[in-house]
Amino acid sequence: MNTPRQITTLRAAAVISSTIIGVGILSFPRYMAVAGGSSAPFVAFCGIVISFISFWLLASLCRRFPREPLFVFSRRLLGRPLAFVFTLLIFLIFTLLTGLTVRQFGDVATTVLYKKTPIEATIFLMLLICQLSARRSIIKFSYIHFFYLPLIIGPTVLITLISMRNIDWLNLQPVLTMPSVSFWRGAREASYLFQSSFVIILLVPYMQKPKQAVRAGALAIAVAGLLYLLIVIASVGLFGSEETKLLIYPTLESARSAAVGEGFLERLDALFIVLWVISVYTTVYTTYYLAAVLLQNLCNFQDQRSTSTVLLPLVFITAMLPSNVFETYTWSLTLGNVSLMVLTGYVALLWALFLFRRFRKKGASG
Amino acid sequence: MEAWKEKYASYVQKQQSCPPSAPGSDSLSHSLTDNLESLLTLLGQSGDLVVRDFLLFGKYPASMVFFSSLVSQEQIQEHILKPLMARPSGHPGFTDNLADMVHYIWNTAVQVTQGTTEQLISSLPPAIVKGELVLLIEGVNEALLLDMRQIDMRGVEQPQTEQVIRGPREGYVEKLENNLALLRYRLQSTDFRIEISPLGTRTQSRVALCYLDSVADPQLVAEAMRRISIIDTDSIIDAGYIEQFIEDQPLSPFPQVQSTERPDKTVAALLEGRVAILVDGSPFALVVPALFNQFFQTVDDYTERFIMGSLIRLIRLVALSFSLFFPAIYVSVISFNPELMPTDFAVAISGGRAGVPFPAVIEVLIMEVSMEVLREATIRLPQMIGGALSIVGVLVIGQAAVAAGLASPITVVIVALTTIGSFATPAYNAAIALRMLRFPLIILAGMFGMYGGMIGTILIINHLLFLESFGVPYMSPFIPGNWRDWKDTLVRVPLWWMRRRPSFLHIQDSSRLPASIPGAYADQILQQGGEADEHSKADHNAAGGSRDQ
Repeated sequence: MNTPRQITTLRAAAVISSTIIGVGILSFPRYMAVAGGSSAPFVAFCGIVISFISFWLLASLCRRFPREPLFVFSRRLLGRPLAFVFTLLIFLIFTLLTGLTVRQFGDVATTVLYKKTPIEATIFLMLLICQLSARRSIIKFSYIHFFYLPLIIGPTVLITLISMRNIDWLNLQPVLTMPSVSFWRGAREASYLFQSSFVIILLVPYMQKPKQAVRAGALAIAVAGLLYLLIVIASVGLFGSEETKLLIYPTLESARSAAVGEGFLERLDALFIVLWVISVYTTVYTTYYLAAVLLQNLCNFQDQRSTSTVLLPLVFITAMLPSNVFETYTWSLTLGNVSLMVLTGYVALLWALFLFRRFRKKGASG
Repeated sequence: MEAWKEKYASYVQKQQSCPPSAPGSDSLSHSLTDNLESLLTLLGQSGDLVVRDFLLFGKYPASMVFFSSLVSQEQIQEHILKPLMARPSGHPGFTDNLADMVHYIWNTAVQVTQGTTEQLISSLPPAIVKGELVLLIEGVNEALLLDMRQIDMRGVEQPQTEQVIRGPREGYVEKLENNLALLRYRLQSTDFRIEISPLGTRTQSRVALCYLDSVADPQLVAEAMRRISIIDTDSIIDAGYIEQFIEDQPLSPFPQVQSTERPDKTVAALLEGRVAILVDGSPFALVVPALFNQFFQTVDDYTERFIMGSLIRLIRLVALSFSLFFPAIYVSVISFNPELMPTDFAVAISGGRAGVPFPAVIEVLIMEVSMEVLREATIRLPQMIGGALSIVGVLVIGQAAVAAGLASPITVVIVALTTIGSFATPAYNAAIALRMLRFPLIILAGMFGMYGGMIGTILIINHLLFLESFGVPYMSPFIPGNWRDWKDTLVRVPLWWMRRRPSFLHIQDSSRLPASIPGAYADQILQQGGEADEHSKADHNAAGGSRDQ
């Protein structure tokens, strides 16, 4: 009845997708508008392509080792001590990422919607449900993502499409600009949102068809990327790029402007925020789970139950460290840069070692 | 009075004296008095224990031992005593070979369908307790056990807890044989297997495990048997006792075993590949595995036409979410995010709440708790008073509470909707689970507003996703996704479209209908519904499907 390989390709895609769609959804159009003006959708598109390339590097490497997660086979490729250092580094990255994401969420939640709830309580509750659900197995982990994904995507797309009725297509022109430094910086920033697709390293050993890891990721990034593109188009099209730069949460504003009927469904942003909580939960859940599993691996524990508990105060303190919203954003951008370098560099290093070994083995046998 | 005093004295005396030691030899001896004596020591004294001495065939001393409360005395007179006491002219004499006596009696004299012979004295008392009659004969070291069990029972009636508009009206009764007969009557298949064994060291209740041999997953059947086999208790009084021993997560509020009073429902579950467990003395059958979507399905869904079935099922789902979320949403919107309401509505609500001194969360909690008290009181009271009480209670709560400034009219509306929603859930235990979870949600919403409600909801949904019943994920077939099985979840598609059994049960034989039938039906329907021209109809008939003639 119970085989270890239970995660279908579709479910793996759902995990990655719902992980990617997260806290950034609210302010994403602003960054794109700052980077590229009216060509913001194109900036976002380039970011998606970049993140797909880095994902492809990772997933096709994992595909070669269908039985083990990255931090296990890296020990063989790299040697135990060096692999330990890198795993520790990745663990720190994901712990910080969890903390900063949940902090961003807390900032938005307390300033926009839940004004009477203290930020500590908001953050702690979110971390608590992540901790409780991080104790479960990876199969259940995939169930959760698979269940919530339609709840995230469906209404978001619907609200965005409704708000797109009022789009002025002139706002989106010119579509292309000369790629400048700020253009590429924006594309890189866009790719940060997709960094948690790293979760594929946990999924591959449990997938029914590990060979399809890349396909699952491609599907997931396409879905999430389309959603992000749609949001950018809606915001920039509605407000124009200059206005979008000034709005803190342009997506929320465009949801506000979407009203159906007279009176009753005028506040679609409330529905939007409710679903946004779920999408943040799935994102934080993934990074928390990753951090817990990495810590479990560092300590050589049987499962991630105890490490997920240990992680809770750690992440909470991280989340409370930045003193204001601007600091949070600066920190998370820095973290994005560092993690892009570390993760991609690490994967590239492993690839090089893998190819080298195979080359040598071939040379030895041939 | 005197009689009871004597009884008391002898009882106390018996308690103080040493307990009777077990007889040295366990097997029956040739002496009737020895056998009787050791049997009575084992059985102890009891008011309804009958020892009837008589002369077998007018010659041989013999004794019958039985409980008069468990057996049919008329049957004993007619089919045992009468032939045994008669002096048939032609029977052989047993002067030297008394050992054959028992077999002679069994083969030619008594007119009873079930019986065994027994040589161990220790196996006699359990049989007598079950309702069998023991026949001991002088000079024979074998006892004849004859099944004479007859217990009066009520007739087959419409089940009270699961009533239907359209569908069978029969429900289980307490006696196991009758319940199994009801199942056999609906499922006349040689594949239908029933395993019966006693359970519980003191009650020795007979537990029956039913499944369809060619359909049910062998691993599921084995797992169910394993879980029943490790039950170690002295008493099984109802199927509910077994449920508590075999469920996966005792701490979860959600039921993971379905209990039903309806044989037709049980048969439908068996045909889907599930396993049913019945207990002697309980009018409920347990069905495993039980999944979340079963708890808002009823027999009506299937006996009515599919459009109505689907609509009613959707309505029930709405009621179910009412009963869980409504008060929490109300509390969080009123006290944290009033801007989410349309302006006119917000004005109306705040006008209604003007005289109420409590915060919304307290107000809702007071009303909900009093509603629960009212519900419990109405169930416990006799039916005649119950109706009156509920009317008084509703009037008091509805009218006077508002007039007294205890609650606002809108709160009363919300609480009433919640309560009615919880009654619309067909499975009583699932409805209780949701009603229970409503309170933490209200409190969370009262503390953290909409966000608290969301957190609570995520916790509940996650719990549902983590739950399993006998190895099957509780939210199947939603999670893990089996699109094919969605035909019978939120909506109920036409029966001829559901040609496969649910795949999440890992059944052996998945097809319900032959593959060709749905196509033929669909053709027929399209032809009758649309403007079918004569040509295509002729074609259809020529092709072999003369179904509509």
